[in-house]
Order: sequence, then structure tokens, then C-alpha cells
Amino acid sequence: MATIRRGDGGLALPWARLSRAAATRRQKAFLLVLPAVALLLLFFILPYLYLLYISVMTQSHNAKYITRFTLANYAQTIGDLFIWRVIFHTLRLGVITTVIALVLSYPLAYHLARASSVMKGLLMMLVLTPLLVGVVIRTYSWMILLSDTGLINSLLTSWGVQPAHLMYNDTGVTIGLVHIYIPFMVLSLAGPLQGIDPDIERAARSLGAGAWQAFWRVTWPLSLPGVVSGSVLVFVLAISSYVIPSLLGGFTVITVPLLAIRTITELFNWPLGSALTIVFFALTVVIVWLFLRLMSRAMKGAA
Amino acid sequence: MTAISLRSVVKQFGDVTAVDHLDLDLAEGELIAFLGPSGCGKTTTLRMIAGFEMPTAGQIWLGEEDVTWLSAEKRNCGMVFQNYALFPHLTVYRNIAFGLEMRRVPRNEIARRVRSVLEKVQLHGLEERYPRQLSGGQQQRTALARALVINPNVLLLDEPLANLDAKLREEMRFYIRTLQQEFGITTIYVTHDQSEALVLADRVAVMMGGMLQQIGTPEDLYRRPETAKVADFVGLVNLIPVRMKERCGAAIACESTLGPLEGRGPDGPGAEAEGWLSVRPENLHLSGTDGAAASGTDGTVNQMRGVVRERAYLGSLIDYRVEVGPALTLRIQGGAEAPYHAGDAVAVGFASADAWFVPSEEG
Repeated sequence: MATIRRGDGGLALPWARLSRAAATRRQKAFLLVLPAVALLLLFFILPYLYLLYISVMTQSHNAKYITRFTLANYAQTIGDLFIWRVIFHTLRLGVITTVIALVLSYPLAYHLARASSVMKGLLMMLVLTPLLVGVVIRTYSWMILLSDTGLINSLLTSWGVQPAHLMYNDTGVTIGLVHIYIPFMVLSLAGPLQGIDPDIERAARSLGAGAWQAFWRVTWPLSLPGVVSGSVLVFVLAISSYVIPSLLGGFTVITVPLLAIRTITELFNWPLGSALTIVFFALTVVIVWLFLRLMSRAMKGAA
Repeated sequence: MTAISLRSVVKQFGDVTAVDHLDLDLAEGELIAFLGPSGCGKTTTLRMIAGFEMPTAGQIWLGEEDVTWLSAEKRNCGMVFQNYALFPHLTVYRNIAFGLEMRRVPRNEIARRVRSVLEKVQLHGLEERYPRQLSGGQQQRTALARALVINPNVLLLDEPLANLDAKLREEMRFYIRTLQQEFGITTIYVTHDQSEALVLADRVAVMMGGMLQQIGTPEDLYRRPETAKVADFVGLVNLIPVRMKERCGAAIACESTLGPLEGRGPDGPGAEAEGWLSVRPENLHLSGTDGAAASGTDGTVNQMRGVVRERAYLGSLIDYRVEVGPALTLRIQGGAEAPYHAGDAVAVGFASADAWFVPSEEG
């Protein structure tokens, strides 16, 4: 009996050791994640927490805010029809930019995915080079092209065509946004498209699908993960852009980032600007979440 | 009736000629295997028949119709790809129904036909699975069902068993053959595996360097190869360089560095023709050097002496390499009943009926 019991103990012991080893391993794993967590905390969560804090403080004329709790800023934001118009306008610009970027990027990304490796490198470089030049500089070059006396309009007038207002309106801002954010869309699309075996499209063709049918029934649904991630990325970047709408919109196009910064720097109302930012942030999260839910239903089985 | 006809088909990719003036006719209901090493043009030929590649020159006919310039979706070819190319976002049912949906077949008719083909490939109960939830063999059968359900004029199989493990591959060979005969469908089977081609096909077309080397029944190919390349590619073979001395019908007499040898040969090459005698390893017989056992039995007229250099035990037989002359080593596979060892002096013999004359390329 005694020997058996000792045997039991001997059996149990390695388990105990194993679980202790597992615990230490988990602790070590946590240490590995720590830098990432710290990064997130420092650059993403803390600034938002600070904004959240300011947004419930009271406005002051000689300081950022007075440390007195209030919900008045939210009441003012939500009750202001002008603010809602700006929010709606910003979201509309975001959606239009995203759709145009998607339509323009898809054929490019498709060819990128199917090109030979040499061609792929070249195309990839062409897609990425704009990112090497700052946003401000690229936006200024659009101003040279698009302004009322710019390159396009002077060409139009020299041909006797009525010049078009391409700048200081939604058209100019949309052109700028699409151009700046298109690389992100192309890169998001290229991955999933490259993952589609060309034989799958051939299989669809051999089963009687025309080129378009094969695209809509096979290629498009299989590329949806890229469409979704690219769209969310471009949408979020477009609605939060500051430089492009301010330069190409000439302050006649007002978006939420412009309004928030003006509220803070010109009206010196930190709490109201913060409240606007938080409301817009919450709205964006809800919209993206709804979009992802909708798409995940459409993608059922594709992933 | 001719189901598929390739007429002097050429395919060039830039400077590279992938398929060089290929002529081939397939009879209705025939299973033909395209056999060749990778890069021999067999897959390119299949893709041209399917309509994924357009030939540089020549014509492709399916039945009574010239389809050379017809796009893939109008050819009604059922194709099974090497990696199956199942639609990953569709269930087994929807994968199989795809071709019927494209043909605007009514819904209840689709359901009936899909169910019937699922029954045939033994996949019932798996309709709602996605391809990634299937085993390799099940994916293979789904791909077959998807190609067969549209009642194609021809079935094109591109190395369909290459991604299966050895045991399953063996089973699927017979299964594909049975299915093909049940449907009575003209089939092209592309493979680089000669044993697969021999087991499955009515006729085998051996392709090398974009050219058709030989087409014939598996037995033709194995017993009467037309070129040394074919003899070498199909199964194991010993090639003994010879010069033909005289012939009488199919029977020929040759001289070689090993002395006079007798065999059979094709029509055409006459006396003084240079070439090889091809002898399969299993048709060479080993015996002791006393000479008593090997002489005279079953027409073993060809005799030589040699030394065993290597032996490998293969279970049911033993694989010997026997040096019979300067720079000439024969591969011999024989039963395990008379085991010889490396260094043993042996007598080697083969019947004239088992030796086939292959003319050298120039001839």
C-alpha cells in the first residue's frame, strides 16, 4: 500500500512541476507583450482618456479648463444643428473618398497581384513612392494643378473652355483625399487578391461563367476581406484628415477635425472641442462596427 | 466518332516552344493519358483544350466544332485541377451547383442533379461543408463531381492525384477509371507518373519537349517503345547498344559488344541499322556460372556473363545491378529464391521475345 501511495505522489509531482513551469512561462509571455501594451497605452489610450477628461470640465477664458465637472459641452455638441451638419458632411466626404479609392484601386491591385515578380516590384514601388513625399507638399502640388488659375484651368481657358472651380470646394478636397489615401487601399487589396489561386477563376470559367460572372461570383467575394480592411482604413484616415481639407478646402469646406481644432485654437474652448472629438470618435466606432458586422455576414465562409 | 481532335497545334511562349505541331485524335468515350516529365507541354496542351490558353497555330476540334478561338465557358469541358481549385467561399453543394447555375438550370433540377452526382462520388451528407473542412480525398471527389455534373463533352484531369498520399492515390486510380466508364465520357488525364498512366488509360500519349513521342496502348508502350526516350521514361529498362545484322519478319539478329543477340523489332529499320535492344529488368534471368540452369529454357537464346555489383532487397523481389561488359551495367529484378551477392559471378539470359529493337534517334 505504502509503495502504491508513494507511486501516486511520484506521479502527481511532475504535474505540479509542469503547471508551475507553465505559470512562469505565462509570466514571461506577459513580459513579451508588455512593450506593445505600453505603446498602445501611451500613444492611443492615454491621449483619449485625457480628451475624455477635458471634455467634462468647464470652459475657462484664461486656462485650458476649470476643474469642475459638467456635461454642458456634450449637451452643446449634441444640441447644435451646425455641428451635426459638419459631422454629416465629414462622413459623406469619407464615404465618397472610400468608394472612389476602392473603384480606382481594385483594377490596379488585381494587376499587381497577377503581375510577374519584376512587374510586381515596379508597380509596388510606383504605388508607394507618393508616401515618401509629405502630405503637405503633395497637397500643395494639387493646389498648383487645381486652382482657378492653375495648370488645368489655364489649359481649359486656352482651349476656350469655361474654367471649372476645382478647389476650395468638395471636389478639390475629395481629389486630394483620394490621391493621398489610395496607396493604403491598394496595399490592403493586393494581399487577399494575391491569395486567390488563378485556377479558381479558371475553374469558374470552365464551368460556364463569363469573365464578369467569374469575377462577381468568385473573385469579388474572395477579395472582400481586403475590401473591408482597405475601406475601413481609408474611411477613418479620410474623416480624420486635417491638412487636405484645410488646404484644398480653403476653410470653405468644414470637417470635424477642422471644427474641433478651430474650437480649441480660435475659440479657445478646449472642453467643447474635446467633447466634439469624443462624440465623433464614438460615432465612427459605431459606424465601423456596423460596417464590419454587415460585411462579416456577407463574407460568411469566405475567410 | 472523334471527340477531340488536335490538328498541328503549336504553342509558343516568347521564344520557347511549349507544344510543337501536335496531332492527336481521341475517340468518343476514350481515356487517354498525357504522360511526360514536367515542362513537356502536357499541361499546356490540356489548357489549350480547356480554353485557358490560345494556340499560336493549329486547330482544336471538339466533336464537330472548331473551338480553337472559343472562350473557356463556351466549350463545355469539365476540368479537375491539380489543387482542385474548389471555391473556398462556397459549400460542397454550391460548388457542385455552380456550373448548373451558370447554365440557368431550374432550381429543383439543380437539386436533383447535384444529389445524384453526390451519390455517385459518395459525398452525400457533406453538402453543407466548406472545402477547407474536407479531407484531401473528399476535396478531390468534390472537384470531380463539380466537373461531371454539367455533363461535359470531355473531362480534363490535370495531375488529379498528385496531392494525395500514396495509398489513397492507388485507390483513386481505379475509382476514376470506374467513374469515367460509368459516365462514358471522353477523358484526358495528364500525369508524370507512368504507372498511373499505364493502369488508367486506354491509350497513352508520351510527350517530351513539346512533341508527341509515341501514342499507343499501355502494352504497346511498355513492350514496343519506339524511341529510347520512351523506353526509358515508361518503367525501368536496360538499353544494350546494338547493330542489326539481319531480319526475318519481326525477328532480328544483332551484334553487340556482348556478342550476337536476338530480339524483335518494328517495321522499317533494316540491316546495319544502329540502335538499342531494350529489355525490362524483370525479363532478365540470373543463374549461376555453371551454365546448367540458364541454357535452353523458354527460348532464352541470349546469354552473357557478368558480375553482381549491387543488390537491393525490395521485398517481393531483389534488384541487382550486374556488370556484363565494359561500361555496361544491367538492372535485373528477380525473385528472392536464388540470392546472389555483390561480387558473385553470374550468367544473365533473356528470351528474344522480350528484347525489342529501338532505333537510334538519327535513324
